[in-house]
Amino acid sequence: MTCLLKGVWSLNLKYICMHVWLIGVKPIKTLYMYMISNIAYPLSLLFAVGVLSDGKLLPFALSGGLVALTAANTLVIAGEIAVFRLQNRYQDLIVSTNAGPIDYMIGETIAGISWAIPGIAFYFAMDLVYGILNPYRIVMTLFVSALLIISLASIAFVMASRVKYVRNIWAISGILSILLMTISPTFYPYTYIPKYVLFALSIIPTTPAAVLEQGIFGIAPIAWYMLPILIVECIIYVMIAKWFIRWRED
Amino acid sequence: MIVVKDLKKKYPDGTAALKGVSFSIDKKITCILGRNGAGKTTLIRILSTQLRPSSGSAKIEGHDIVNEPMSARNDVVSIPQEAIPINYVNPVDFVVLYLSARGMGINEARRRADNAIKRVGLWSVRDKPSDELSGGMKRKIFVAMALAADAPVTFLDEPTTGLDPLSRREVWAAIKELKGQVVLTTHYMEEAQELSDEVIMMESGKVISKGSIKKLMRPFEGMVRVESKEKQKGAVRIGNTYISYVDRRRAESYVIKGSIIKPVTLDDLFVKRGVELES
Repeated sequence: MTCLLKGVWSLNLKYICMHVWLIGVKPIKTLYMYMISNIAYPLSLLFAVGVLSDGKLLPFALSGGLVALTAANTLVIAGEIAVFRLQNRYQDLIVSTNAGPIDYMIGETIAGISWAIPGIAFYFAMDLVYGILNPYRIVMTLFVSALLIISLASIAFVMASRVKYVRNIWAISGILSILLMTISPTFYPYTYIPKYVLFALSIIPTTPAAVLEQGIFGIAPIAWYMLPILIVECIIYVMIAKWFIRWRED
Repeated sequence: MIVVKDLKKKYPDGTAALKGVSFSIDKKITCILGRNGAGKTTLIRILSTQLRPSSGSAKIEGHDIVNEPMSARNDVVSIPQEAIPINYVNPVDFVVLYLSARGMGINEARRRADNAIKRVGLWSVRDKPSDELSGGMKRKIFVAMALAADAPVTFLDEPTTGLDPLSRREVWAAIKELKGQVVLTTHYMEEAQELSDEVIMMESGKVISKGSIKKLMRPFEGMVRVESKEKQKGAVRIGNTYISYVDRRRAESYVIKGSIIKPVTLDDLFVKRGVELES
């Protein structure tokens, strides 16, 4: 606890807030097409699943859509971080200040997620319409989403700080984003796949997140065993990021 | 005050970018000159704590950049080569963002950013996204950043590369306004002559000479540069021109042979170095 408080105390909160405001929130009104493109894929899958299942799997598409939207908007920051590092030289500029890699990571992650806020609001509204949302589910959904965001942001940062060419990061994050949303039981009941496959897939953070969401939303049996998996994964990915992120370069 | 001792840098691919660099800087504006690949950017990146050296040490205002990077960062502003402002962020916001990274409060950062943007002449475009600004204006945002930060040491890596002559002069004027020490790298000899109190010349990862321009130009005293299409003794060939340096009093004889006589400039330090290496 003391360690956590020390960590929070040492954060450059002024920078994090300014980064979120100037890179995430403020540009939304001028770059709204970027926001629409980020929510287009999960929304189109929601539509497709709804139509193809004759509405039967719509609650799954709603719970999964939220996971997919969060995942897509977290992974997309990899592209921005790579551009900031390789093209703008913004990372170099920040390295020689009092802001550290964790400040930058937090700022950039929240800034990235802020582009998904309208989409998240849309999903919550739809969940409300379909009667699958209540205060408990909101709190649990936010908790699971937070773990998912931290895991994926760590992956995004490692990728972005290792690539040599910006074009590669667009390709990698695009492929990853599709894999995370289609291989994991995001838009269909997790009970459709054998348990051993489910465990194998749980290496992808969207799998435990989607499984938990389905249980939280009451549309599939709750699988609490996925919670420790997601927490451990989150810790592992953060540790990987801590070791592999290039900040002050060697 | 910057003190560098036997700084070496070998990149993971085996390239030795710095091969034991030592010097101290106490002048107001110092220019680091050198050809491409001389090690200028590596040196600036190490001194700005962006890159770890392989060995050696350096102190900025008494802070060891290897062991106390966080303390050193309080005293340093570093503008990387080819840095570009984030395209959808306006000049004032970009400066505020940078100042907040330095730990400055938002109100103070806003006040300083406004002031610095005015000083570099960008006030009329303060609300425009950086993408809509010219190359010169974009570079001035970074100079505004350095002005607003008001740090004891500012590193500028090729601050005017790609700018037209007028924009370059505007950036020079802004650089002269910086209060602390300034260390800048450049390829433009004119820039070094205009700005620097001291020049450090680098080649192949080593410092080959250091001093005031006057001191460095001393070997050329009383000499002129002779450019000829025909090979001459002790001349270096650059393209299809042979360049040599002769006593001013002998210049007339070269004119008769059809050579072109020019006054010696800082450029000639590099050319002469080429002559020395070839001989």
